Amino acid sequence: MIVPCSGIGKTYGTVSREAAYEVTEDRRPGATGLVALSLLVLGDADARAAVRAHPAVTIDGCKLACAAKMVQESGGHVAQGFAVLDVYRRNRQLKPQGIAELNEGGQQLAHAVAEEIATVVDELVSCEEAPDRA
Amino acid sequence: MPSYLETTVDKFIFKVATDRHYSPAGVWALAEGDRIRIGMTDFLQQLNGDVAFAEVRPEGTVLGTGDEVALIETIKTNVGVPSPVGGTVAEVNPAMELSPEAINQDPYGAGWLALIDARDWPTDRDALLDAQAYFELMTGQAAEEAKKR
Repeated sequence: MIVPCSGIGKTYGTVSREAAYEVTEDRRPGATGLVALSLLVLGDADARAAVRAHPAVTIDGCKLACAAKMVQESGGHVAQGFAVLDVYRRNRQLKPQGIAELNEGGQQLAHAVAEEIATVVDELVSCEEAPDRA
Repeated sequence: MPSYLETTVDKFIFKVATDRHYSPAGVWALAEGDRIRIGMTDFLQQLNGDVAFAEVRPEGTVLGTGDEVALIETIKTNVGVPSPVGGTVAEVNPAMELSPEAINQDPYGAGWLALIDARDWPTDRDALLDAQAYFELMTGQAAEEAKKR
C-alpha cells in the first residue's frame, strides 16, 4: 500500500502525491494500491484494514511524517518510509515549486521519488513471492 | 547546556537560549574566547521550515556586520542569514554539508553555522539584544505570524 502525505497546499506534499499516483497508476499498478491519508486520520475501516493487511510504503512531505505515523497508529507496518526532502537532497537540480501545478523540477522530483519507491515495491513483492528469502 | 526562555504561540513552542546575544533578524551570537559562534534561532528555523541545503561562506571570508554569512534553502523559501558580528569566518560547521537538518533539530547546539574571528565584538555585542529582549521581540513576531495562518 502506498500512503502519501496529505499536505494540501504544500509543494512537497504535492510531490509526494504525484509520486504515489505514478507508482500506483503507471509504474506498478498491479502490485500496489493507494490509501488516502485523510481516511486513516478519520479512522476509515477499509483504509485501516488495507494498511494492516499489506506492507505500507509511506511518502512524507515534511518532518512531521504524518503518513508514517498514521500507518503505525492504524496498526499497519511501514515497510519503507520516504521523505521527499531526502530525495531532493540527492537531486538538487530538481527544485520543486508550485502547488496545484508543479514546475518541471517538481515533476521530475516526483518521478525520482516514484522510481525509488518502485524499486522498493519490487523488493517487497520479491520477498512475498519467496518468503524464505525474507 | 543552556537554559531557555520558552513560549507557546498557537501550537508552536519557541525557545530562546539565555546564554547568548541575538540580532532582531533571529541570528544568535555566543562568545567563546576570541571567537563568536553563530546560528539561527529556534523561531527562525521553525518559521522557515525543514532545511534542504545550507551554504555557509567559506573559511577566510571577511564579513561586515550584517553581511550575508549563509544561504539556507528550506522547503518553503531561501533565507539569507545576516552575520550579527563582523570579522573573518574561522570555521564552518561541517554538519552543514551533509546534515543541514541539524539546524532544525538543534538550532542552539549542533546546528550552529560558523565561528567568526570577531573584529570588534564589544561594539557588535552592544548592538545586539540580550536573551530577554529577543524573547519579547520574537514573541511578538510569532504572534504576527500566527495571525497570517
